Amino acid sequence: MATAYTLPDISPTAVKNTASLVRIVALALISGAAIASRLFAVINFESIIHEFDPWFNYRATKVLASQGFYEFWNWFDPTAWYPLGRVVGGTVYPGLMATSGVIYNVLHKLNLPVDIRNICVLLAPGFSALTAWATYMFTKEMKDASAGLLAAAFIGITPGYISRSVAGSYDNEAIAIFLLMFTFFLWIKAVKLGSALYGSLAALFYFYMVAAWGGYAFITNMIPVHALTLMLMGRYSSRLYVAYCSWYAIGTLSSMQVPFVGFQPVRTSEHMGALGVFGLLQIVAFAQLARAHMSSKQFKDLLFYSVIGIGLIGAGGFVGLTYMGWIAPWTGRFYSLWDTGYAKKYIPIIASVSEHQPTAWPSFFMDLQLLIFLFPAGVILCFRELRDEHVFVIIYALVGSYFAGVMVRLMLTLTPCVCVSAAVAFSSLLDTYLDPAKPEVPVVEETAPATASKPAATATATGTSAIDDVVNAAKKSGKRGIFDLDTRLIIVFNAFCMLSFFVLHCTWVTSNAYSSPSVVLASQNQDGSQHIIDDFREAYYWLRQNTPETSVVMSWWDYGYQIAGMADRPTLVDNNTWNNTHIATVGKAMASTEEVAYPILRKHDVEYVLVIFGGLIGYSGDDINKFLWMVRISQGVWPDEIQEPNYFTPQGEYRVDDRASATMKNSLMYKMSYYRFAELFGGSKQAMDRVRNQRLPTVSPTLDYLDEAFTSENWIVRIYQVKKEDPLGRDLKSANAFTDGKKRKRSKPVSRRRAIM
Amino acid sequence: MHWLPALLLPLLVLAKDPQLELAELAEKGNGVIKLTPNTFELLTSSNRNWSAAIQLTALDKRRRCEPCKNFDPSWNEVAQAWHKVPKAERDNHFFATLDFDDGQATFQKLGLSSAPAVYIYSATDGPHAPASGRFGPHKYDFSSGFEAGPLAEQLSRHTPIPIPYSEPFNWGKLLTSIAGVVSFLSLLRWVGPFLQNKWVWAAGTIFTSLVMTSGYMFTQIRGVPFTGPNGSWVAAGYQNMYGQEVQVISLIYGTLALSFLMLTAVVPYQTSPGRQRVQVYLWTFVIMLVYSVLIALFKVKNRGYPFRLFL
Repeated sequence: MATAYTLPDISPTAVKNTASLVRIVALALISGAAIASRLFAVINFESIIHEFDPWFNYRATKVLASQGFYEFWNWFDPTAWYPLGRVVGGTVYPGLMATSGVIYNVLHKLNLPVDIRNICVLLAPGFSALTAWATYMFTKEMKDASAGLLAAAFIGITPGYISRSVAGSYDNEAIAIFLLMFTFFLWIKAVKLGSALYGSLAALFYFYMVAAWGGYAFITNMIPVHALTLMLMGRYSSRLYVAYCSWYAIGTLSSMQVPFVGFQPVRTSEHMGALGVFGLLQIVAFAQLARAHMSSKQFKDLLFYSVIGIGLIGAGGFVGLTYMGWIAPWTGRFYSLWDTGYAKKYIPIIASVSEHQPTAWPSFFMDLQLLIFLFPAGVILCFRELRDEHVFVIIYALVGSYFAGVMVRLMLTLTPCVCVSAAVAFSSLLDTYLDPAKPEVPVVEETAPATASKPAATATATGTSAIDDVVNAAKKSGKRGIFDLDTRLIIVFNAFCMLSFFVLHCTWVTSNAYSSPSVVLASQNQDGSQHIIDDFREAYYWLRQNTPETSVVMSWWDYGYQIAGMADRPTLVDNNTWNNTHIATVGKAMASTEEVAYPILRKHDVEYVLVIFGGLIGYSGDDINKFLWMVRISQGVWPDEIQEPNYFTPQGEYRVDDRASATMKNSLMYKMSYYRFAELFGGSKQAMDRVRNQRLPTVSPTLDYLDEAFTSENWIVRIYQVKKEDPLGRDLKSANAFTDGKKRKRSKPVSRRRAIM
Repeated sequence: MHWLPALLLPLLVLAKDPQLELAELAEKGNGVIKLTPNTFELLTSSNRNWSAAIQLTALDKRRRCEPCKNFDPSWNEVAQAWHKVPKAERDNHFFATLDFDDGQATFQKLGLSSAPAVYIYSATDGPHAPASGRFGPHKYDFSSGFEAGPLAEQLSRHTPIPIPYSEPFNWGKLLTSIAGVVSFLSLLRWVGPFLQNKWVWAAGTIFTSLVMTSGYMFTQIRGVPFTGPNGSWVAAGYQNMYGQEVQVISLIYGTLALSFLMLTAVVPYQTSPGRQRVQVYLWTFVIMLVYSVLIALFKVKNRGYPFRLFL
């Protein structure tokens, strides 16, 4: 057969050996790239834990590393949710902490005294290398090793995954995506081979996943849907039976060992799909077995109807149990994925989180760039072959793209599927144009136009059966390939350029958008150099150094974990938003007048109140911008006392300047944010809030019940001390008025102190 | 002499107990009092032992108030639900509607510049007066939407007894779904082979994932308009988009994916080298062009993006 270019004469064994060496080297380099690109955060800032939730994970890991696993397991944290406290061991997914704890202990056994903080910071980059490897294995099952390498490279550097796994982002997702991909790989392998060993391994990693991330429900539902689809397609086989049953039985039993999960796998609707498919498989397997041993037609009919009957009884059982309350109906976060208006109505806390917002298209492009349009092409190629594992990718693509559209944070679950599918598409393209085999020019030219002109004209964007026809027709003729060298070169060159652009894009996005720790902020000086804004740590360390260890700090829940982690002080509420009423209490205190808030503060032993204020330097994530959520959440509990419309101007605007509503101006949050703010500008009309671009009144609000204790360099964090009751029993407002020399107007004389008898 | 009763009526009304009169008006309006400025004053008089919920709206076509039209049915449903309450309790709370065209002066007095709005006046006298001493008007908060359910729930806090509102059973939906299932089953013979063709499923899958990755759910959840107010179809800002962008972006993604598919799956089966070369160059050109357009669009959304292609 003619070739388009000459190949060097090397023996097949040498080619094979070199290929496997190249694969190993390539995987090692991909791992290196994956880890390196996640280190921007450490290089630009320092080795620091990021954001909010990671601070709790870090704190818990420290307990685990210093006091051992059993102490951690029984850890009751009295400083969180003051005065309630939190049973940490039973309300946490321990997989992440356990992983770092094991690494920490192993390193120390090897006499490598690594600080636990550095393990936590570098855990996510380390696991991203493992994710790349797991994706390689997974994609290898879909197509071949070259597609696998591409997929590994894609997932290694794509911003969609980096956004959740930069160094310092010590969160559950850091290890969960590796577990997700590896469990899926093992499942595919189990279905392919019908192997109970791989099924059990899948169950084992499923257990690890359950212990690590609440998103395990994605696996719990993906695998049953895959099995069900295969059955509906008439592809039931004993391989499927063995794989599913071994996964489900072992996986479910082991997942119930995690205290936070407990009996949920048999009590909630999220897990019922898996159980239902398990039951269905038993029925189908029984029917298959019985049919093989039966001869008469009547028996077969009887079997058919009895199987349907059993299925209906089973389905009715689920409905009945749900109705009776034995199975919890769909609620909470998972339900809000289907009923998208649900969260806003019933769980405003969930709706208020920015990563739970729907995704606009620029986010998709930012996170996945060229992968996002290679993805449909790859799915089509999966349809072309449609083996059992391809069905899996197709379902994943469908479900994943829906979920990613509903919630920004679920972009993370879509990313692996997009990488796999795009890699399949891209490597198919390269395969075609690198294949040296050159088809022969047909002798009879007349038959060609009929098939050749068809695709361009009839094949639509989605690839209907026209493609199928053409492909089949061409397959029959057996001529497939590229004739000329220039077309090969242009395609390869184009592909190379697109991949290079992808790398540039990923590097830019990672370094600019996803590497900020958000605890430390960066801005640019006039000359382009970096200016670090370190107000958060400054304030938290002030708390740590200057207040008694027992003083309770109140802040909005976003900052609870950071205060606990960095300032080591008890907090009223934190990012584990389990108690809505407690959060609403804080919201009420912030949204009410000083007089109303003071008893609340005193009842909760609050000594310091911390607010985040960005008006001076233009930090837009501050508490005034979050204020409406505080109002909304407390309105949900006290609708008579807090009403959202009162915080708007009569025109319905949210303002902080002269025209702000009276309720707004008298709220504790407003007063604490703008206290002494106008003085900073000399009391003139210059006081400008740089976030909301509004001019503040010349007179700053006054505080009677609180004292300013600390304000950070750029005024981002402001801490107020709650005054004790007046020693003379006056209310603090009149006491202040008295010290200011203002006489209180009395309508009637107050009773004199009685003389002691 | 038939004009005489009409002439006497206002006198009679004046003599009557205002609560009875309002009850009569409510009866006439099938649960909702259609207000005029006079009756508005009467209903919200400072000395009242009844409570009232008033819808301030602008239903006239010329006012072009879409939300008013959307809210009005819910309001009437809740009012009718209250109308079913036994008479003894019913007359302690009134539902009323004041249209902008009937009472412009009242709107001005209340300082209302937008409609619809719901004001709730508690009783100031009698057993139903709130202990807190806050008689209103409270403004109903539309943050939970225009649906009747939350409206009834929130208004129930101000009525003497809770409003016995229950969502009407959606027979239409049930019937449509039954009809859908039946017609599907009866058409199964013809639809069946179609459903067994994997390319039908492929088309569905690709369409869904294209639309989803183009931000369709964003437009659904946020209820964004199809185009901007001044006819622009690209919304400014990275976290924002209009309905038309979904179409454009999914078309771009679709074209790019198709070009790749063509290069991978169709071009190699060409039997004539010349034609093959033309197609390779054609599709490569399409990829470059459309990709450039995409990058240019992305630059519009994200102004800080430093890269660009040929555009």
